Amino acid sequence: MDQTTPTVFVVDDDEEVRNALKLLLESVGLPVICYASALDYLEKFDERLPGCLVVDIRMPGMSGLDMQEKLAENPIHPPVIIITGHGDVPMAVRAVQAGAVDFIEKPFRDQILLDSVHRAIEMDAERRGEASRQSEIHEHLSQLTPREREVLDLVIGGMRNKNISEKLGITLSTVEAHRSRVMEKMQADSLSHLMRMMLTLEQDYGKP
Amino acid sequence: MKRSRLVFRHIGQLLLIMLLLPVLSPSWADEEVRIGVLSHRGDVVTRAMWGPTADYLSAIIPGHRFTIRPLKFDEVNPVVDAGEVDFVLVNPGIYVNLEVKYRVSRIATLYNRRNDVPYKIFGGVIFTRKDHPEINTLEDLRDHSFMAVYSTSLGGFQMAMREMLDSGIDPYRDLKSLEFGGIHDLVVMSVLQGKVDVGTVRTDILERMASAGTIDINDFHIINPRQEPEFPFALSTRLYPEWPFSKVAHTADTLAQQVAVALLQMPHDHTAALAGKYAGWTIPLDYQPVHDLFLELKLPPYQNLGKFTLSDAIDRYRYWLLGGLLVLLFMLFMTFWVMRLNQELHKAKNRLEQQHELILDSVADGIYGVDLRGRSTFFNRAAERITGWAADEVIGFNQHEILHHTHADGSPHRADECPVYQTFRDSQARYISDDVFWRKDGNSFPVEYSSTPIWDENGKTVGSVVVFRDTTRRKKAEEDSRQHQVELARVGRLSTLGEMASGIAHELNQPLTAISTNAQASIRLLESNSSNLDVCIDVMERIAGQADRAGEIIRQLRRFVRKEPLERAEVNINNLVNAVVVLIRPEIRRANVTLELDLDRDLPRISVQPIQIEQVILNLARNAIEALQENQQDERKLSIHTRRVGEQRIEVWVRDNGPGIKPEVADTLFDPFVTSKSQGMGLGLSISHGIIGAHGGKLVVNSAYQEGAEFTFYLPLLEAS
Repeated sequence: MDQTTPTVFVVDDDEEVRNALKLLLESVGLPVICYASALDYLEKFDERLPGCLVVDIRMPGMSGLDMQEKLAENPIHPPVIIITGHGDVPMAVRAVQAGAVDFIEKPFRDQILLDSVHRAIEMDAERRGEASRQSEIHEHLSQLTPREREVLDLVIGGMRNKNISEKLGITLSTVEAHRSRVMEKMQADSLSHLMRMMLTLEQDYGKP
Repeated sequence: MKRSRLVFRHIGQLLLIMLLLPVLSPSWADEEVRIGVLSHRGDVVTRAMWGPTADYLSAIIPGHRFTIRPLKFDEVNPVVDAGEVDFVLVNPGIYVNLEVKYRVSRIATLYNRRNDVPYKIFGGVIFTRKDHPEINTLEDLRDHSFMAVYSTSLGGFQMAMREMLDSGIDPYRDLKSLEFGGIHDLVVMSVLQGKVDVGTVRTDILERMASAGTIDINDFHIINPRQEPEFPFALSTRLYPEWPFSKVAHTADTLAQQVAVALLQMPHDHTAALAGKYAGWTIPLDYQPVHDLFLELKLPPYQNLGKFTLSDAIDRYRYWLLGGLLVLLFMLFMTFWVMRLNQELHKAKNRLEQQHELILDSVADGIYGVDLRGRSTFFNRAAERITGWAADEVIGFNQHEILHHTHADGSPHRADECPVYQTFRDSQARYISDDVFWRKDGNSFPVEYSSTPIWDENGKTVGSVVVFRDTTRRKKAEEDSRQHQVELARVGRLSTLGEMASGIAHELNQPLTAISTNAQASIRLLESNSSNLDVCIDVMERIAGQADRAGEIIRQLRRFVRKEPLERAEVNINNLVNAVVVLIRPEIRRANVTLELDLDRDLPRISVQPIQIEQVILNLARNAIEALQENQQDERKLSIHTRRVGEQRIEVWVRDNGPGIKPEVADTLFDPFVTSKSQGMGLGLSISHGIIGAHGGKLVVNSAYQEGAEFTFYLPLLEAS
């Protein structure tokens, strides 16, 4: 499957509702894959596939909420849009708190669903872009020697070259050589660029 | 005072005895022999007359001291009876009495001294004055006044009376008057002076008075004159012996012999005889004439012979009379008592009858009797009140034609089918719970009644008693109760639906969402390219299907909350199960329950109230779903089975593999307001139980089922009405 085309994954136990959703989403050109139950979806889950999830919150077996929790265990998963029946608002609120991007009450206006789906797909794309940048930085970091990594951390910490040479017990010229190789390997234009890159990692994953 | 005088007297007597003791000492030890003497002229005279005789005897008979005991007329009998005297000297009249009563026996007869001539016999003389020529015979005495000495005087009355009776004259009845002068001389003087026509005295009185110069004997005319040899006195009666000297029964014969010999040997001019104015003693005479006299006069001791007066009878039959009187009194008492008893019985009978009537009239049930010909024999007040017929309009008439002529549906009720008549035929009591009777105003009313045969004392049926009750109110109450049950069931359904509302709303949302989404998709498809028409047609069909689906749910909902009519319908129970499944599907889905239906395809149609049966199935299914939510391990399974069991019934069972029924609630499962749920009123099973019961079936929990809970109900195919 084309890994770049976002897909709408519909999970609903009601075949008719499922089919209607499929028809509507396809009418605006979105690819749709339907699942009759949450377990069915989780079984076939592929984190590489971009898109979004449209899930009925109330289903036999695993509910939409439970499924959402399962998905959260994966670093990457499509954003979840919850479809609720009448009177299920408290459950929807819980779903949003757990990270769902939206909830829609049945029956719904088509535009509301479609807007929500588009937003979710964009969000997924953004998330997926961010994720690819980070993995790039990680890749660059992994090319550094341990000494170079030490130097990088000290530079990020705001130490000047002289202090680094004293700390590491190496000559100033050696520090300068390590530093230029770090800049090169990290493909950083400037010190501030390098700082931003490392900050991005810290923000998303905490301190490495 | 009296006492001291008595003491003085005793002392006086003692002194006298002491003074006399030397004089009397020779005879002091002699045995005292007491001679009782009739004393008609006073004790002093008696002692003076007879004392010498006693002394004579004392002198003649050694070792005995004779004393005189004067006896008054009425003392004679008791003294002799008590043995206080050893000899008695009384007149012949008294003697014959003593002879009979106390067995005294004469030992000598007195020679009376008249003009110094001794006479041992005497009689009575009846006389009148010479100037009464019309009185010649005893018969002539009739209707004349008569005077005698006294009634018990032998010579002065009784002898004369004997002669008069012999001549047919009863002196007490046939005379003009009968008087008693008391003294012989007075009788003579009364006749002489003309105070009475006729008199009677002892013989020799007239002669003695004449010799004394008191009267002239020629002035008198002797009635019934008799001549007796050697008897010189005027005489009108038979002659009788003079006074006898007699021994009392206890007196020794030897002494009596000595006394008799002494008396007979007394010279006729002995001083003792002169003192006693007699002339000695002769051998005892025959006293039979005196007996004859008394016998004839019916005087004692012969008073009871022949003449039998009332007083005689009273005297003689005193105890019989007393006894008779007692018996009479007793019978009188008994009669009175029986009368009273009878009266009380009568009262009691009346009271019982009144009570009987009161009971009959105060019971609330109508009661009437029917004879063998079907005619009413009685009709109580309640029957009058209930039917509007008065008792006299019914009694004697055919009850069937009045009360019972038509069935409730208007068809005629034939008399030979009437249970009251059937009761006569087989003598069996009957109870009819549902029938109608007819009022006087032509309206009918529902009744229950019993017809009980009445037997006579031989056990033969002679009629029957019908007890009936107007059941209008009860029927109404039953109807109300049924209505109430229906209402309760409906409330139960509303409550159930309330609990199910959110699930049902979701269930409705599904087709609505599908419809809405499909429709909007179609619009988009058509907008983007009208060549999508074929696709859209398919979609439209699906939309219509979903609308039907939503409609079905709505229809079931409406059916379920409708105030359904009470009519039953012939339905297939499977259809009811399917209808319920529509309503419980959301819950089944939400609870992640697998529903397994095992419905018997050959189920016959059955007459039920469909909604109520659905309600039962729904309740059981929802209970099962709820119980299944406690089952975290296994697949949650709910099974509903229907099955025909023979020709009798259809069984439906609802089974789950939940935790089962807790034993502690098993007993109260069908009671209202018993619940183990946090929500709900606990009415579901109670109402279900009531519904199945009202259909003639039964709802039970199968305690043998161990894998969860199983409820079974059966419905009879042919419900007995």
